[in-house]
Amino acid sequence: MGKQFTGSEILLESLRREDVEVFFGLPGGVVLPLYDALYSSGIRHLLVRHEQAAAFAADGYARVTGKVGVCLGTSGPGATNLTTGLTSAMMDSIPVVALTGQVPLPLIGKDAFQECDTIGITMPSTKRSFLVRSAADLPSIMHQAFKTAISGRPGPVLVDLPKSVLMGTAEPTYPTTPGIEQLERIREWTDEDVERAVEMILESRRAVFYVGGGVIAANAWRELRELAELTHIPVTTTLMGLGAIPSAHPLSLGMLGMHGSYATNQAICNCDLLIGVGVRFDDRVTGRLKDFASLAKKIHIDVDPAEVNKNVRVDVGLVGDARETIQALLQALQRRRGEGKSPAPPARQQWLQRIESWRSEHPLTYDKYGHSVKPQYVIETLSHYSAEDAVVSVDVGQHQMWTAQFWKFRGPRTWLSSSGLGSMGYGFPAAMGAQLAFPDRQVIAVVGDGGFQMTLNDLATVAQYRVPVKIAIINNRALGMVRQWQEIFFEKRYCDIDLSFAPDFAKLAESYGIRGVRVDHRTDVPDAVRDFLSDREPRLIDFWVDPSENVYPIVPPGASLAEMVVEPPRVLVEEEALDDLWAV
Amino acid sequence: MQWLIALDTNGDPITSCRLMNIFRRKGVSIVTLAMAARPEGFSVIAVAETPESEVEHIFNFLRRVEGVQLVTYYRHEPLGDASFVFIDADADSSSLARFLQTFPESKLIFASHGKYLLEIPGDRKPRAVSLDFGKQEILPFTRVKTSIPQPELVTAQAS
Repeated sequence: MGKQFTGSEILLESLRREDVEVFFGLPGGVVLPLYDALYSSGIRHLLVRHEQAAAFAADGYARVTGKVGVCLGTSGPGATNLTTGLTSAMMDSIPVVALTGQVPLPLIGKDAFQECDTIGITMPSTKRSFLVRSAADLPSIMHQAFKTAISGRPGPVLVDLPKSVLMGTAEPTYPTTPGIEQLERIREWTDEDVERAVEMILESRRAVFYVGGGVIAANAWRELRELAELTHIPVTTTLMGLGAIPSAHPLSLGMLGMHGSYATNQAICNCDLLIGVGVRFDDRVTGRLKDFASLAKKIHIDVDPAEVNKNVRVDVGLVGDARETIQALLQALQRRRGEGKSPAPPARQQWLQRIESWRSEHPLTYDKYGHSVKPQYVIETLSHYSAEDAVVSVDVGQHQMWTAQFWKFRGPRTWLSSSGLGSMGYGFPAAMGAQLAFPDRQVIAVVGDGGFQMTLNDLATVAQYRVPVKIAIINNRALGMVRQWQEIFFEKRYCDIDLSFAPDFAKLAESYGIRGVRVDHRTDVPDAVRDFLSDREPRLIDFWVDPSENVYPIVPPGASLAEMVVEPPRVLVEEEALDDLWAV
Repeated sequence: MQWLIALDTNGDPITSCRLMNIFRRKGVSIVTLAMAARPEGFSVIAVAETPESEVEHIFNFLRRVEGVQLVTYYRHEPLGDASFVFIDADADSSSLARFLQTFPESKLIFASHGKYLLEIPGDRKPRAVSLDFGKQEILPFTRVKTSIPQPELVTAQAS
């Protein structure tokens, strides 16, 4: 008989074999054996102040690295607190493995203390879940969990760990196959399918690439850029796809959809070919579905067959890994070029000029000359002074959209946003996770005052571990996006959006041992930002921004992209009531 | 429109729970449902009402659910050619017996709690079935989509 190890030891060894350097969690009763083994394991663990932060941090870690992020909660409330983070990871296809404690096997189903049906509760929030029944099963289950999380369409996987399994012993047999290096690549298309797509590309005069998180997940951004440059086809991205092409690239159109730019949405409305790559055709992108890119033929590349023809009927669906599929298109187009067929017909130049004229007609802009601190100006300034490889992490709401619009994205895996679920409170802990992955890079959490109040308890965590996250609060003393919708769509019947009763965030940060300042004058913004970004310490700036500022353009709910409202009606610009209400 | 969905899953009951939840979320209206245990997992068949426009999406959604090994979609063919019949005999096994007397070479695909799915040899026409039996509990189907059997992702190997 070989050497016996406890379930806890086997679990930690499994994590090591899956290349886990750090994980995020909070101990409790049933996982005490695991924390006892962790004490001498050498694996880094970050003690968060709420399990939701652990899940978001694991998500942030996964987004910036492309690896699996790991979080842990004890049984019962520890597990239920993870669910929002897991659901967000599920919606955005982020590879996360969640470890949850569970009561000992004989007590499951007996309503024991801190028992809950974790597998049942998290069922729709996970790609797969496991209840471990024996310490001997841990190596293969952990290996399956990691592989499932990152294979095909990535997503969260949960492993429920009864205390009796953690305390039990076994002689482990670890799988030899590496966890993530040798993934099966999904490919359901044929060469004929690719040729059909190539024909459509060659025939089109007004094509647009519509790119989402699938391009980031598949590490396909270089191939995408090569394909765009070969064909001279402009690229618009979803919220999830930001960074897939640099904002400054001449073919970059920025974001489309509800808060996309006029030029981008016009391009969608007028294109004759739409090539979706790693996208879901979700309602925030499409507006009224029947009018979405209604003049265009459509090609859809996606690793998930269930996404093709889900919301929008397409002419060619290429189910497969985005990188491999784009490579196939590139090869086919280059072959056709060798036969004398240009992948970039001259008509494309006219198309690009037309888009440029739309851009000139209605650029993304804001009032740059007022006295108040405009949130867009704060975002631009932060972007301007941030490092080339800086990571920006956002919450959900107005500040998220302004960041999506005004941040200059320089590369992939630098943008963290709970995009599908839209979970407030995500930005700060996700930034923490990203910072743990890359301790030497600048990681900036741009958060709203509403979202930040949902997870600010983890200020203690960044202070304790000196995680040098930079926290920029876009503070409008309100649930800004809700206020904007009540203003525009509910006749200004403002109901329960006032957050003016809040702590002084700068002083709160100071109380945790983190330098914090408030900035409420426009002219102070540049110096404050430069100073904010100048060191390797956690820092907080509370920007008191104009509370009446709204996100424009906006496509009203149920409208088509062509019906977007480009700028606020004059009457709203002139209104002073909100300024009086939340006077700085 | 009526469809018959046949699924094979792994042995983890949570996979079957996921399937039920998917049916609920995707608006698949279940008319008849049966489940059977196999040595290596579970088999589920459901006669369901779904608009034809949703079938491709639901089929693709089901076949990529972790733990689902095989998905087959059958379309109800009340008048046309069909190669499969679903018999909902409930407690009365006489309809199955009568059917097997008429089509003794039929292949049994699924059987559980009085619900049977049978494949009829290619040279026989199940249209005749509906004419012969004329019973609501015997429904002819045509197979329209099937996935490739999915093995479990990982087989642990000794190091």
